[in-house]
Amino acid sequence: MGKFLIFDKLKEEGRSLLTEFESKELLKQAGIPVVETRLAKNQKEAVLSSQKIGFPVALKIASPDVIHKTDSGGVKLSLNKVGEIKAAYNEIMKAVRKQYPNALIHGVSVQKMVRPGTEVIVGTSKDPQFGPVIMFGLGGIFVELLKDVSFRIIPILQKDAEEMIKEIKGYPLLQGYRGKEPSNIPALVEMILKISHLIEENPQIKELELNPVLAYGDSALAVDARIVLE
Amino acid sequence: MKGKILEKNDLALFFEPKSLAVIGSFREASFGGYVVVRTLLNAGFAGKIYPVNPSYKEVLGLKVYPSVKDVPGEVDLVLIIIGCRAVPKVMEECTEKGIKAAIIVSDGFAERNEEGVALQKKISEIARMNKMHIIGPNTAGVANPANGLIPCPYVTGYERIKKGGIAICGQTGMINPQAFPYADVNYGVSKICDFGNKSDVDECDMLEYLENDPATKVITMYLETIRDGRRFLEISKRVTPEKPVLILKSGRTEEGARVSASHTGSLAVDDQIFNAACKQGGIIRLEKFREIFELPKIFALQPLPKGNQLGIISYTGGVGVLATDEAEKYGLSNAKLSSETITKLDAIFPGLGKTIVDIGPGMVVVTDFMSVYPEIMKTVLRDDNIDCLLNVIWIDPSGDLIEGYIKTYKELQKQFQKPIATWIYGPRLPAIDDLALRLEHLGFPVFADFEMGIKALGIAWQYAIRKKGEK
Repeated sequence: MGKFLIFDKLKEEGRSLLTEFESKELLKQAGIPVVETRLAKNQKEAVLSSQKIGFPVALKIASPDVIHKTDSGGVKLSLNKVGEIKAAYNEIMKAVRKQYPNALIHGVSVQKMVRPGTEVIVGTSKDPQFGPVIMFGLGGIFVELLKDVSFRIIPILQKDAEEMIKEIKGYPLLQGYRGKEPSNIPALVEMILKISHLIEENPQIKELELNPVLAYGDSALAVDARIVLE
Repeated sequence: MKGKILEKNDLALFFEPKSLAVIGSFREASFGGYVVVRTLLNAGFAGKIYPVNPSYKEVLGLKVYPSVKDVPGEVDLVLIIIGCRAVPKVMEECTEKGIKAAIIVSDGFAERNEEGVALQKKISEIARMNKMHIIGPNTAGVANPANGLIPCPYVTGYERIKKGGIAICGQTGMINPQAFPYADVNYGVSKICDFGNKSDVDECDMLEYLENDPATKVITMYLETIRDGRRFLEISKRVTPEKPVLILKSGRTEEGARVSASHTGSLAVDDQIFNAACKQGGIIRLEKFREIFELPKIFALQPLPKGNQLGIISYTGGVGVLATDEAEKYGLSNAKLSSETITKLDAIFPGLGKTIVDIGPGMVVVTDFMSVYPEIMKTVLRDDNIDCLLNVIWIDPSGDLIEGYIKTYKELQKQFQKPIATWIYGPRLPAIDDLALRLEHLGFPVFADFEMGIKALGIAWQYAIRKKGEK
């Protein structure tokens, strides 16, 4: 895993939060499966990117200053036609400029709408006593309300990653609850191990969160990502 | 030892000093230098004792030196028990004397106020500059029963502690000789250490020392903080395949939760992270203070179970059922007796050959029940389907049955490589205590209640799995 050029760029620009697009690019380089995403600087590029990726797509505001993308009207989902892309682009720009008049805007990220799967979360942070730690849990209310998550100290072994997944109370959901497709546990294990490795090799990463990761029967795919540097 | 620089992981001077200077008051009291000297003399400390104080000439038949610098011989360890403001000056004198290890009992340091924080910084600096190591300040000290090193600053009312395999450490004096009836319960100890304010020697140093201490078979600790989490994890990974490490840690609340924009950051509370460290480091996490003393006994006195099949002998079915529920939590399951065992037990008393061997009904009707009791225990323990045993004993008020139980357990000694946890109940405390003491003397741990006995067998089984996995 080579050095990530993005770290230098952030240093130059004096910021610590990577945009969603930058985060995904970094993860892709680290060999972690992420949903296909392109950065479009303007409306025209948004249309072109959508056509290349293939409909349906989602547009999301790409700005280091916009933290709550959905709340500020910066996200449009399930867009199926060129006309819808154009309209969505304009609406996003209008809404975000109103909420964040001084935000630096890179454009929008165009990403493929993904098929539904079981939502999980993989994250890392730094503990004052134990240093970098990694977390796994089910997404949505499981993490927010029930705090059904497991932790390990980085670096971890394959055995640790496997235990992390089995430890959460919601594990039966990943095994295929009530006819739902069972999730591919080895794919999740591999993703957790790669994240652990990424953090081990790059101590300048302060926090990382893949939320959600969609767990499928055959694979796992990170749909949104957020990386903060020290 | 001259000229030797104490390595951080070599705490031998603290536990095996050939000479010990005690700097404190030698007025007769229930706390202080006088008590330290008297306790050391009573325990038969194997090294030289040098009391130090300019105001005294003699204490308990020992010459008192005006300053540590006046002591004629070499001093391996100093114990300082004076007002906190006087400690730095005395420390300077100790370094001039070439002393490399200091137990600072005095309080009034970082635990108290700003002035104390500054004082602690000062003594740490003096120690660091002179390659001296400190246990404390604000500590009740250490103990090593093997050489009579019990420099306890409080009156204990007993003289000696039995040598044994259990090392007990903590950030509290609640584990020291004045706080637990070590002698009365005949508790076998290898080392005791109260870290106090942990200005220097901490849990990691102690783990490394105990790792190489042949007397220590099991380590139990009470911790409030962990100073270097990563070092702690690294050492734990190395120690736990060799010796079980049991830790009670405070701070299980979410107080430590940090404000963070991400879920990971806000959910990464101290307790969750420490739990993770325990799993990766193979540490057995305790839940209650009493467990610090109770649970290590299974490791110190009994072999590890080879499987998870639990046998239960009880005077009452109720306890058997409750014990079975408890056992499930630790992955133990009720053993099915072999047909041979069932036949043998049923021959002793009809209906005895059940999964929970209930001896209550037979006890009442069989004349001279104690004559068949040893055979019941041996038959159950001999069964290949059984890996460990909870034995529930009822003791009569006058203790008439004691000799029968003792005789039985004596016959079991070293015969079966299977751990036995015992719980004793009955109407009179003197009989219960008498039997418990005598059984533990034979090497069979008796637990405060049957849930604790089950937990002891449960953690022994979990430790056995880990040990197998590592080898």
